[in-house]
Amino acid sequence: MGLFLNTVLNGVSEGMVFAAIALGLVLVNRATGIVNFSQGAMGMMTTFVAYSLLSGGIGYWPAFVVALAAGFFLGAAVELIFIRPLQGKSPLNPVIVTIGLLVVLEGIAGSIWGVTSRGFPPAFSQRGLRIGSTRVAFSTFDLFIVAAVIVLMAVMIAVFRWTDVGLRMRGAAFSPEVARLLGVRVGRMFTLGWALAATAGALAGLLAAPISSFGPYYMDLNLVYGFTAAVLGGLLSPVGALVGGLVTGLCISLVGGYLGGNLEPLGALALLLAVLMARPQGLFGSAKARRI
Amino acid sequence: MLQVDGLSVRYGAVEALQGVSFQARDGEVTAVLGANGAGKTTLLRALSGLVRCRAGSATLDGTGLIGRQPEAIVRMGVAHVPEGRGVIPELTVEENLRLGALVRLRRSERRDAIDGIYDVFAPLRARRRRPASSLSGGERQMLAIGRAIVAKPTLLLLDEPSLGLAPTVVAHTMELLRTLSGRDGLSIVLVEQNVRSALSVASWALVLNLGRIVVADRPERVNEDADLRRHFLGF
Ligand SMILES: Nc1ncnc2c1ncn2[C@@H]1O[C@H](COP(=O)(O)OP(=O)(O)OP(=O)(O)O)[C@@H](O)[C@H]1O
Ligand SMILES: [Mg+2]
Repeated sequence: MGLFLNTVLNGVSEGMVFAAIALGLVLVNRATGIVNFSQGAMGMMTTFVAYSLLSGGIGYWPAFVVALAAGFFLGAAVELIFIRPLQGKSPLNPVIVTIGLLVVLEGIAGSIWGVTSRGFPPAFSQRGLRIGSTRVAFSTFDLFIVAAVIVLMAVMIAVFRWTDVGLRMRGAAFSPEVARLLGVRVGRMFTLGWALAATAGALAGLLAAPISSFGPYYMDLNLVYGFTAAVLGGLLSPVGALVGGLVTGLCISLVGGYLGGNLEPLGALALLLAVLMARPQGLFGSAKARRI
Repeated sequence: MLQVDGLSVRYGAVEALQGVSFQARDGEVTAVLGANGAGKTTLLRALSGLVRCRAGSATLDGTGLIGRQPEAIVRMGVAHVPEGRGVIPELTVEENLRLGALVRLRRSERRDAIDGIYDVFAPLRARRRRPASSLSGGERQMLAIGRAIVAKPTLLLLDEPSLGLAPTVVAHTMELLRTLSGRDGLSIVLVEQNVRSALSVASWALVLNLGRIVVADRPERVNEDADLRRHFLGF
């Protein structure tokens, strides 16, 4: 019972990190209709920015905020410099560019900060909470992960549904030409979509770093799981990303806990195949496969 | 008033518009007729900035349109209902209208403007929270026109609004256009293949053929001229 409970709790907090990555993937896909393979690497970069600040004696929360802001600008810059010029041609081209970007960002991080893994401090204690007389594998930091990602998703949904800028972003994504005819600056909305996605990626990076072996490559496996989560959720829906993250987290945690840690990626793959065979559009995707 | 002089557009080797000149007066419907491929859509897209012009000018109340981005042209008071209506099916009826009201109206003016559209198109009010994809053809037409006029434009460009609609709905739409131009002093450029309907509301008619204006005359005259109809309009 104790093992099961702890495995589940562990799956929840890991799953929420995958959900944060998936939310970023969903934002980019909604805005520009492509899959961003550099989503994890951008979060790694901004987490290294926070790491440098922390090493320089700056407090955790200022570094946290700077990392999120760095994500915002990094995302906007990537869209403007690498994605925009390729738009209108084959949709595969920008996707390949994001793969290139992943390699380049990891190379840059490796040459600045070195390739060895190191520790990264958590926002809160990572000691398991006490329930009655037993300690469970769920800490204050895990609680923070869950809360932060739920807030992220809620903010995303609220912005899309209730704000003018959210309406502009959706209009631009669904029908760019019609949106232009209504006066929406469509290019700006695409840039904003990428900026927000990279901000979500920065959050994911900060949340993942203390529970992974932090280094230039620590987001690679997280991206694979985040990608699994996003596809499970249909790649378009914020709620889908969150649920997809939880399902993925639970699945790999159970596989890891009961069958062995080496099988975790295989477990994610099996999950992905099983869901996609039953529902090719993902758990939350609509059958029309439109960008929603 | 819209004043167009010598407008030319080329797609690669295709001369889609060649030296098109005309006026569209305030408070009037100007019909633009012509067979498939005559350049009607291209003309509207040139005016709203979606395609680049090779030569010529177009001014709205003295201010130049050509060379500006569509986003800027909308802000000058040009509303364009594109071919196929351009309703965004994934958004709700109200969201489509909000998007139309967004750039030209202040936040405080938008609610009244949208309610004003519901007063004109009552069926839309009942469906305001439904996705636009759930609307019938006639309702989509209402939404497309409602969204175009919600921000009180000075020039309305309509690309084949009658396409795919039942005759009664077409008649209704034409009546509405007459009201809009007469009452609000709106200048309307109406591109149509449905010649009879367009001529019934127009004050002035242009016939495009292979990118050139071949006839510019009063609608009755176009209607009476059997040769012209057979030659350029195919009936
Ligand atoms: N994007 C484009 N690229 C190349 N040629 C084009 C393009 N759009 C239109 N054309 C050509 O330009 C000419 C005018 O087309 P346009 O769409 O303006 O005609 P239209 O009068 O609106 O026709 P329809 O009644 O079929 O809508 C046609 O010969 C068409 O094939
Ligand atoms: Mg046309």
